[in-house]
Amino acid sequence: MQIVFYRILGFGSLLRWQHMRPPLPRLELRNVCKTYADANQPVEVLHDISLAAEAGSITAVVGRSGCGKTTLLNLAGAMDFPTSGEVLIDGRSTGSLNDRELTALRRTRVGFVFQFFQLLPTLTVLENVELPLLLAGASNSAETARGRLRWVELEDKAASLPHQLSGGQMQRVAIARALAHSPDILIADEPTGNLDTASGDQVLELLRDAARNFGSAVLLATHSAEAASIAGTRVQLRDGRIQTIDRA
Amino acid sequence: MKLLRSLILRPLRRDPLRTALTILSVALGIAVIVAIDLAGDAATGSFRASMETLAGKTDLEILANGGIDEHWIGALDALAVNATFSPVMEGQAVVDGAGPVPLYGVDLVASALEAAQPAGSQTVTATVAGRRRELKPARLAHSASGDILVADIAAAQQALGRFGKLDRIDVTIGRGEDLARVEQAIRATLPPAYLVERPGVRSDENQRMLRAFRWNLRVLGYISLVVGAFLIYNTISISVVRRRGEIGVLRALGAGRAAVLGLFLAEALLLGVAGAALGVALGRLLAGVTVRTISETVNALYTTSRPAPVELTWSEAWMSLLTGAVVALASAFAPAREAMMVEPVEAMGRGAHEHRARLRWRRELVWAGLFAAAALAASQVRPIGGYPVGGYVAALLAIGAAACVAPALVLAANYLTRAVTRRRVASLLAGRSLTASLSRSSVVVAALATAIAMMASVGIMVGSFRETVALWLDVQLRADFYVRTAARSAAGQYPPLAEGVVAALESVPGVAAVDAYHGMELHFRGERATLGSGDLEVVRRYGRLRFIAGEDRDAILRSLAQSDRAIVSEPFALRNSIHAGDRLTIPIGAHTVELTVAGVYYDYSSSQGYVVLDNSTLLRYLPNQPATNAAVYLAPGADQAAALRALRLRTAAYGVSIAANAELRRASIEIFDRTFAITWALEAVAILVAMLGAANSLLALVLDRRRELGLLRYLGASTAQIRGMILTEAAFLGMLAAVLGLALGGALSLLLIFVVNKQSFGWTIQFHPPRELLAGALALVWCVTVLAGLYPARVASRLNPIDVIHEE
Repeated sequence: MQIVFYRILGFGSLLRWQHMRPPLPRLELRNVCKTYADANQPVEVLHDISLAAEAGSITAVVGRSGCGKTTLLNLAGAMDFPTSGEVLIDGRSTGSLNDRELTALRRTRVGFVFQFFQLLPTLTVLENVELPLLLAGASNSAETARGRLRWVELEDKAASLPHQLSGGQMQRVAIARALAHSPDILIADEPTGNLDTASGDQVLELLRDAARNFGSAVLLATHSAEAASIAGTRVQLRDGRIQTIDRA
Repeated sequence: MKLLRSLILRPLRRDPLRTALTILSVALGIAVIVAIDLAGDAATGSFRASMETLAGKTDLEILANGGIDEHWIGALDALAVNATFSPVMEGQAVVDGAGPVPLYGVDLVASALEAAQPAGSQTVTATVAGRRRELKPARLAHSASGDILVADIAAAQQALGRFGKLDRIDVTIGRGEDLARVEQAIRATLPPAYLVERPGVRSDENQRMLRAFRWNLRVLGYISLVVGAFLIYNTISISVVRRRGEIGVLRALGAGRAAVLGLFLAEALLLGVAGAALGVALGRLLAGVTVRTISETVNALYTTSRPAPVELTWSEAWMSLLTGAVVALASAFAPAREAMMVEPVEAMGRGAHEHRARLRWRRELVWAGLFAAAALAASQVRPIGGYPVGGYVAALLAIGAAACVAPALVLAANYLTRAVTRRRVASLLAGRSLTASLSRSSVVVAALATAIAMMASVGIMVGSFRETVALWLDVQLRADFYVRTAARSAAGQYPPLAEGVVAALESVPGVAAVDAYHGMELHFRGERATLGSGDLEVVRRYGRLRFIAGEDRDAILRSLAQSDRAIVSEPFALRNSIHAGDRLTIPIGAHTVELTVAGVYYDYSSSQGYVVLDNSTLLRYLPNQPATNAAVYLAPGADQAAALRALRLRTAAYGVSIAANAELRRASIEIFDRTFAITWALEAVAILVAMLGAANSLLALVLDRRRELGLLRYLGASTAQIRGMILTEAAFLGMLAAVLGLALGGALSLLLIFVVNKQSFGWTIQFHPPRELLAGALALVWCVTVLAGLYPARVASRLNPIDVIHEE
């Protein structure tokens, strides 16, 4: 009983404290390290990474293949957990969440865009966009999905199957899917890596739009300077360590 | 070899569970065949072993319908030939301490004289024909197939109530004597109605009599292997799909088409032979369990047999390995050929391959139509060599037709349920993924449907048969009580009632009529049947014997008394192509009698069939033939319980067993159910194999789609949703298989009832599908299919999304 009382008291004081503080960043990585055990030999993939992303901002993580970009993105999207340090989404550490809470977090707060689009080949374009909403049990999922398709200018392709689209179109559908539930954080892993220049430009424009119109904090991994140029913050990674952070 | 190791063996090792499931499926299929064969051999292989091992080699056998008059022994002994004539009686006895054993009556006194030894004064106390007796001289001997009771011929005749009659005379030719000369001399001496045969004829008759039974059992055994074949096809298809890229690279590096074909056939061969080897061992174990059941059926329906030890010979083991190898190669040929056709530049992914499979469904529908038409044509073919070959071919073609319908069914079901499945993400994804992997999911549906169809068809056939028999029993068994000797006897044995039993029954107050029935073995055109006679006027007045359509029952039964006319049972008529009005030449005792077939009646008690005369006719040819059974009809209003007490009291001294009508019906149905117990066991194995296949295929679907499943986790799917999706797929597969299986099962049941059964056993079975049983069985199979999805669902929910989404 006493414990419950103290918890309630603590929660109240936390609320007051939060009220007094400036708004928290959407996404924050604090001294994050990630180590994998490879043949009993620990391999450190990320070392002491700290960065923050505000709502409506675009952060580009730049670096060569194998520098740890994808691992960083997985940690930021609560798909993986740091070996040490913390990943905070709206101030709450992902490590403190149980499986159900993590699933709920991915359904409502995070959206992913992949280099190879990862559309389900058996679903139509509309169904692909609708999928996160269906998984979350959202109402009016079809209408919302159609709205996102309109936004990426592919409403006329709603009934098509992914293999009937071009690479650029597929990536636009993937972005529409990632934003279907208006996530607070949009994680894009090499979104233009598999596209020609014109399609890549379209995709980058959509990401910029996502930050602007949906208020999402966009975290973008790329090794293209052009893609990185849309970001307000550019984080240069090298061998799992932050080399530089440039702010435009 | 190196390619085989890296491209085939390594992936098989990497997926140990799936490999094990495939091998186990084949093993179960082969095990059932081995078990059925070994148990069948053991259960039926001991017909003649006992006496032959005891008496040594016999050159000729003399037989007669109704027995041989013993005075002919003297006439034969007087022949100027160098041969020995040994009289033989055969029956069953229960010896204190040794249980039921075959009883052989031989001339022990003569044998002793020949050996210049005393005949012996050993006495054996045994129950023969319902009565305890002391047989002397007699001894319990040990033969290869177990104990037998050997008694002096006179003691055996007395115990069996067959005074002056012999069941058989064994002829042994002396050194230097000409067999043909002896045979000619015997034929010249004996009445022409007596049969002089080379030894083994009875065994051959037995084997012929059992061939339809064993064939049908064997065919049922092959069902599991057919299901197993689908699974090998599936495994190799998966293997080809997964390694399409590798095949392209191999071809680009200079591997020939034949090498690619050889690789995948080698994989199938490996699975087939491994499965068959395990199956042989498993089958040997199963045979030990099965032999008793088969033996009971043979005893109940055909003839006396004692199970011999189960023996697995090397040739049988090799044959099974060969069967496994051939089935594996045959079922893997199509996917292996597809692998062979992959062009080097066409090292494409699954998407394109599956797209092609979707496009092929129309062509497969056309094939289904062609198969169905061919099945219909094959079902019309008359039996070949006594086997319903057309029926079996039609069944295989029908299975082929169903397999070709499967892809269209999966697509149609998905299309029709689109509106409903869209509402839930698990059902939306499950439906789509099944159509996406159409070439695989349709094979699973076909395999499961085949197993379900077999279960349903045999269920419908057995259910219909049971109902037909029950209805027939209602009609046939009209007497109030049935009387036989107290001795337990197998089919093909006719222990006589003691003299005076019929008179004692007739003297009981309240008894309106007694039909004394005389049954005996009939050797006819190289097959065994039953020759019987009864009081057909009693049958006419009290019974309800049904004749095949259009035949006037009363007129037929009235026409039989004091005339060389007979009625025959439907199986006998069909087996021998006999119709009403035909003439039959049947040796009865020493007479060759020309009988006119007055009518053909429905009967389900023996597939060998009956020729039935009126008592007045039979006793004219065999005057002292004892009755073997009696049917007692009570007068209207008579007290049944009181009558039964009185009947038991009156016949207490004769060692008879009296069964009330209801009791006999119950016993008949019990025998029926026991007979089909093994059928159900075989069905269960087929279903088990199909379940293993479902689990195997779902696992393959999960592993193949692991990137999609990982993506779903990125998109916010919970582990419960992933599990639910795989279980929904399993349920969907089960549902489709149930629909297809039921339709195919209906078609197969018609083939079983109207073609296979009719041609094998000659029974007309009315169509009575056991609806509740079928519904229950289908629900059970469906539940088990869903359960088969549990493990794949677990694997799917435990996939690491990060690993699978980035493995490219």
